Amino acid sequence: MMIDFLQSLVDGVLVGTTYSLIGIGFTLIFGVMHKINLSYASASVGGAYCGLLLVGAAGGKSALLVFLMAAAAAGVIGYVVYLTCFRFIPASHPLGTLMSTVGMLLLIDEIVVHATFGVPVAYPPLYEGPSIELGELYIRPDYLMVFAVGIAAMTVLTLLLYRSRLGLATRAVSQQPVAAQLCGIALYRVNAATFVVTGVLGGIAGAMIGASVGMLSPLLVLPLTVKGLIVTVIGGLGSIPGAIVAGLMVGGFENVLQYYRGVTERDLYVMLLLFVFLVFRPGGLFAAKSERN
Amino acid sequence: MTTRHIVTPAMLALALIGLGGTAQAQEREVKITGFGAKSGVVRSFGVNSEAAMLAAADQINKAGGIKLGDGARGKIKVEFFDDRCVAEEGISVLRRIASSEAVVAVGPTCSNVAEPLFGVLQKKFGDASDTGVQMPIYTDVAVKGGLAKISEWAFRNVPSEAVMYDELFKYIKQRRPELKTVFGGVEEDFAHSRATWHAVMKEKFTEAGYQIGGEAKWLLADTNFANQVRDMKRINADIVAISAHPFSSCGVLKEMERQNVKPKLIIGLTSSSSLETMQGCAKQVEGTIIPTSFAPVTPLATAAADATAKFNGSLDLHSGAAWEIMIVLKDLMEKQGVIAKADTVKADREKIRAGLAGLKEHEGLIGKVRRTEDREAIKPFVFVVAKSGKWEVLHAPSM
Repeated sequence: MMIDFLQSLVDGVLVGTTYSLIGIGFTLIFGVMHKINLSYASASVGGAYCGLLLVGAAGGKSALLVFLMAAAAAGVIGYVVYLTCFRFIPASHPLGTLMSTVGMLLLIDEIVVHATFGVPVAYPPLYEGPSIELGELYIRPDYLMVFAVGIAAMTVLTLLLYRSRLGLATRAVSQQPVAAQLCGIALYRVNAATFVVTGVLGGIAGAMIGASVGMLSPLLVLPLTVKGLIVTVIGGLGSIPGAIVAGLMVGGFENVLQYYRGVTERDLYVMLLLFVFLVFRPGGLFAAKSERN
Repeated sequence: MTTRHIVTPAMLALALIGLGGTAQAQEREVKITGFGAKSGVVRSFGVNSEAAMLAAADQINKAGGIKLGDGARGKIKVEFFDDRCVAEEGISVLRRIASSEAVVAVGPTCSNVAEPLFGVLQKKFGDASDTGVQMPIYTDVAVKGGLAKISEWAFRNVPSEAVMYDELFKYIKQRRPELKTVFGGVEEDFAHSRATWHAVMKEKFTEAGYQIGGEAKWLLADTNFANQVRDMKRINADIVAISAHPFSSCGVLKEMERQNVKPKLIIGLTSSSSLETMQGCAKQVEGTIIPTSFAPVTPLATAAADATAKFNGSLDLHSGAAWEIMIVLKDLMEKQGVIAKADTVKADREKIRAGLAGLKEHEGLIGKVRRTEDREAIKPFVFVVAKSGKWEVLHAPSM
């Protein structure tokens, strides 16, 4: 039984990398603009589809090329989302951006459904062989690769945020948008760049999910959106380290609960975990202890 | 301007209208409305049903259309509405169709739509105290067992999975007597797959003398099947039965390959004997056996598949049923003397309902389709096996 628990935990934590990547996208946009982009997971999966489509149309088959194109396409989609759902909606109407991103989520989803008839499409796998055996434990090599790519993407993002001028500007806008503008930082350009960067990250996440499942389907969008939001809340809105840890935690937690309580109860416990955090630690994993109303 | 200048064009216009009216009387429109999922993740079902209906209507119209009850000729006009596989939208679509001049509706795609939708129909024909919708519905896709008994206005041309799996398990028992144990995998949140495992496969396996060693559940959109396949590996059953649609079926099959789970036989869900499964996991599905009520094994079925392809659709066990429905309706409307005028809609619907209720059998794409007292179909079927990226007919028990 212990080995089953360990196996479920390892599988779940590795799958959780993809939740972390999606969670980072949500949290970064919230950190900079203090707004939620509900179309993020949809744009990520959309980017993954575009990568496949573009490389296929050019007659290519290289998995690496598909992943790179997915990241690039998702970056473009991220910019389009910024323009259509944020740029021109008055700041005095915060619900406007929320609703427009819901609309964008459905729009991207439906475009994919219409383009593919809703039929799942095969996605180039990272690795097709059997699992690695570590004693009685099985480790999926493709999950390990997803984990490695996820960690690499998060490292690059962290370096970008803390070691580049764009990162400095992004953090400045996130902390004091008015003061940042007074210092000569172009607010709209930084916001747009944030959407492109998170879009690229989402594209990588979408491609990694497609590669680990071996298929892409519009079915993936809603669960990823929900998991991404849960990860963002548990990690703390705006906290990148929080999103990383929360993603891995939610992945492990849901898989272990699935093992003990079955698939039909699994999501109940994930939601309960969310409520526990909202009540006892509303600021997320790395937040200072807050007073309650 | 003289009187002649005014009267002559007016007379000409009236004559033209009259001619138009005559032409309309000679070639009346017979409206048949399809409905099903044309958006969302099951969009392909609606797209294929619509294409099959359009292709069949095109063939009927090119052959002269329908001979109506008053001697005029009628051309079939097909409309198709999207219910998005949502029960509320399906009911709303039904009410819209009922208020139109459509004489019959064909659909829906999803069993979770069909069940409540049949519930808003008049339960017993002629019951004046029941104000339910009076519209004949002939279902092509929604396959969950026994739904037509809900209303006397509901008819289905879907295969009986109970009969198909019963025959399949008997066939396997005979051919592979060494197989004794079964492990079931089920997509628990989809009405069709859930019902097929719990109410059909499990029961029929037991009746055929197999021992159910265990079962695993997952959800339609799940992507990680490691826990379920570990259970499967531990039980090590001779047969693995997967009652799930292509996306999660392929996920499970790929996980089985990773964990080196190799049962002696894999049996799949009827709806997974499709191109989708081949696109998703042709290598892993190799050798899987599925019963289906459509395969291009007769000249009629091949011609219907080709005709449907011209309307950008693919003929399978579901859309094949839509094609058959159109052919049946054509013959039935001629026999029942449907008039297809605005003021005969109610009477026409009743005639079609009566005709369908009295139908004992009809020709299908791969053989004779028998009709039951409770308005369901007993369709011919074949067993197909996944071989080199294609579904090939393994055995045709009822042809």
